[in-house]
Amino acid sequence: MDPIFSARGIVKAFAGVQALRGVDFNVLPGEIHALLGQNGAGKSTLVKILNGVHPAGSYSGEITLAGAGVSFASPAAARAAGVGYVPQEIEVLEQLSVAENVFAGHTGLGEGVLIYRHKLEDRTRAILDDLGLTIDPKAIVASLTSAQRHLVMIARALALRPRVLMLDEPTASLSGTEVEALLEVLRRLKRQGVTMIYITHRLPEVLEVCDRATVLRDGRVAAELGREEFEEERFIFAMSGQRLQKLFPTHEAPVGARPMLEVEHLNVAGKPGAIYGARDVSFSVASGEIVGLAGLLGSGRSEILHGIFGRVAAEGTVKVDGQPVAIRSPRDARDAGIALLTEDRKRDGLLFNLPVGANITIGNLDPLSARGMVRGDRERSAILEAMRQLNVKASSPQASVAHLSGGNQQKLLFARVLMRAPKVLLLDEPTKGVDAATRQEIYRLVVELADKGVALVVVSSELEEVLGLCDRCLTIADGRIVDAFKRGEGGEDRVLRAVAAAQAETVRAAS
Amino acid sequence: MNSAAPATTENPTAPSLRNRLISFIAIGEVGVIAALLLLVAFFYFMQPAFLSERNIRAILNVVSFVGIIAIGQTILLVAGEFDLSVGSVAGVSAVIAAQLMTALAWPVPLAILGGMGVGAFIGLVNGIIVVKFRIPAFIQTLGMLFIGQGLIQLVTGGYPVYPLPKEVSDFGMSTFAFGLGWSFAFFIVAAIVADFVLRRTVLGRNLYATGGNPEVARLVGINTTIYKIGAFITVGALSAVAGMFVMADLQSGTTSIGSGWELIVIAGVVVGGVSLFGGAGTIAGGVVGILMLKVVQSGLVVIGVNSNWQQIAVGVIMVLAVGLDILRRRYFTVGAGAKTAAAKKAGTQAGKISGA
Ligand SMILES: Nc1ncnc2c1ncn2[C@@H]1O[C@H](COP(=O)(O)OP(=O)(O)OP(=O)(O)O)[C@@H](O)[C@H]1O
Ligand SMILES: [Mg+2]
Repeated sequence: MDPIFSARGIVKAFAGVQALRGVDFNVLPGEIHALLGQNGAGKSTLVKILNGVHPAGSYSGEITLAGAGVSFASPAAARAAGVGYVPQEIEVLEQLSVAENVFAGHTGLGEGVLIYRHKLEDRTRAILDDLGLTIDPKAIVASLTSAQRHLVMIARALALRPRVLMLDEPTASLSGTEVEALLEVLRRLKRQGVTMIYITHRLPEVLEVCDRATVLRDGRVAAELGREEFEEERFIFAMSGQRLQKLFPTHEAPVGARPMLEVEHLNVAGKPGAIYGARDVSFSVASGEIVGLAGLLGSGRSEILHGIFGRVAAEGTVKVDGQPVAIRSPRDARDAGIALLTEDRKRDGLLFNLPVGANITIGNLDPLSARGMVRGDRERSAILEAMRQLNVKASSPQASVAHLSGGNQQKLLFARVLMRAPKVLLLDEPTKGVDAATRQEIYRLVVELADKGVALVVVSSELEEVLGLCDRCLTIADGRIVDAFKRGEGGEDRVLRAVAAAQAETVRAAS
Repeated sequence: MNSAAPATTENPTAPSLRNRLISFIAIGEVGVIAALLLLVAFFYFMQPAFLSERNIRAILNVVSFVGIIAIGQTILLVAGEFDLSVGSVAGVSAVIAAQLMTALAWPVPLAILGGMGVGAFIGLVNGIIVVKFRIPAFIQTLGMLFIGQGLIQLVTGGYPVYPLPKEVSDFGMSTFAFGLGWSFAFFIVAAIVADFVLRRTVLGRNLYATGGNPEVARLVGINTTIYKIGAFITVGALSAVAGMFVMADLQSGTTSIGSGWELIVIAGVVVGGVSLFGGAGTIAGGVVGILMLKVVQSGLVVIGVNSNWQQIAVGVIMVLAVGLDILRRRYFTVGAGAKTAAAKKAGTQAGKISGA
């Protein structure tokens, strides 16, 4: 079979960085083709070239689509040729509705220049239904969670009915059920004859839906595998050139350690329409303990973290190391020894106007300065140390953060929150978009911090992560804790059952 | 962390000449400084008198007034806001100081402090309304521009405050070196201090973070409210200082002090590469930018171009400078530039949809 979409000898360099060094990439008609590789391997760069984000002329090599040579000067040109693309980072128009976002940039929606709002909304609803989503087409995107925004971007790509659809880590911010729903959509699209290129760091997804896979390593193709050759170990070896050991490091919850974080009767108001707040949430985390919050999208897990951290207004008491602390702002939380790693790195994490180094030290400059002046030497060595510790791959501390690969941006933000040596660390999706090797490093780091006496709260959409990493799991539904159990006392089914029971109860209460 | 992931591609010891050249051109100020030198050379070629001692002195003295405000405006833009009322504030502060020292017979130093207090207070009001009540800076400071104009008329009854105490007139005529007035000395010192603060201090770094993304800044523990309000107060106080220097120079509390400055100040710092969207730009850039506009204005006079053309030239230069800057950024950060361009396009198209 001839490939429908193929690239030959793609070479792409950015100032100082060789991102792709001669990549051949072939996608057969109707297949779901996995594109794998470690952070910074060049996956996003390759699909951006295939999509015209990096326009023809900025790279060398040839691209053919359905047998004919193409060179896209812009994403619009690629779209017109039937190539759809869902970028890795969320790019939405926050002040507009879901429907307007889905159809942003489309033509032919009305008569002449007029656009019929209800038509837009109906068509959006059809697409969302198809995706199995219950997002209201009229909702303003600003009120959605970041996972929901990601789903809106997927709907936007599908609205064009593309022949080839490229998805750059679409599941990084989705939780189990949403991932399942999305994979189901991919299968359905496949039956309709759509060809897909699928980037992910989650290998089980590849085993589940993909037909073939190309593995990149340092800008070169390290392996091209057919479905019969699929094997997790094989992928990992191709990606890293190494064999991986056990996924989760062993960690024993300390016995009788003093509580480091105590949360009592925490209430957070929900945003109208879209998100549940937190309702009467009480729990405590001992020094050295790792507690996971499991639940569906929008169940209120992030809101609990935000309430503790003072990002949103909250009622209730928070104690750190036995001392009650009045937290009215993130600053108060920081001064109390709490740190938060946010979920949406583009919106709530990175400062795109500052270089890599300053992004790490921002908010942590006090120990690196004397009488208000930043000590250049001290800052530089602190930055290099942090970059080394988390293996942040950047050409230099002066590099722009916009040019880091997604996983490296995540590591950079991790470096930022660790710099202050917090007593309590709140992690919202700590491994989002991070490759398998780095993921292990982050798990190791989390356990290491716990061993040093830090209290950790981990929100993750990957149940496996919560269950494997955490000493205790709190299941959250509708902003409440509906179940709590220790490591080994339950598995995924226990979480899912608790969530289902809570939802059934909500429905009963409503009727 | 360990050996599981490939070694970093870091190689800071041997940047190639080409990379060094690229990073040099990519520095914001280089473009403006080059343009400034070109313009100076051009005017000198057209009319050697352009570089006469007298003309240089005149340009520098005039630049110092708006330059003092440009320093504040740059700080405020870096923090993510801007102020259209600077000219009015300069005027109000000057005439109030003039009234204090004449009608109320306050001692001159106290009256000067009073003038600065007025400027700082108006800055505080602007800051609180913009930050606390979330009225866009454009609206609030435009409103303040008109309020200031009205206040000037109220305070003076429409007539210049004249004569001023002798100390003030003497001060206005005195020079500190090379025939340059004290306003120039203040301008230089303030610029050096502000440049140091933005480049080297924690305060400066936090200002950039605040302008870059206020929510991120808040999440890392920066009190963005204080930073923004502080920046508004700084602009107000510096505007007052500039207004009073002009007052001393004219030896009169004229009602026209500061009128029209707001646009030249913003045009100047923007030409110097300070971003209207916050979080980017330097004092050096802002100062060179405003110097460039003044050089053009003066140069056109010296080579005898009709004064109407001067306005046109200022407009053309501003658009050219900012346009070139955007092109430069796009060229040197290909990926990011392409992305923002795409986002902007989506933005305008979506704007059409929502407008329909
Ligand atoms: N616009 C750019 N300017 C400079 N360097 C860039 C740019 N875009 C990407 N790079 C560099 O190219 C390399 C490949 O990046 P890319 O984003 O393709 O990685 P990736 O495989 O998608 O990684 P991840 O899994 O972390 O998303 C990285 O070293 C990155 O820093
Ligand atoms: Mg990527």
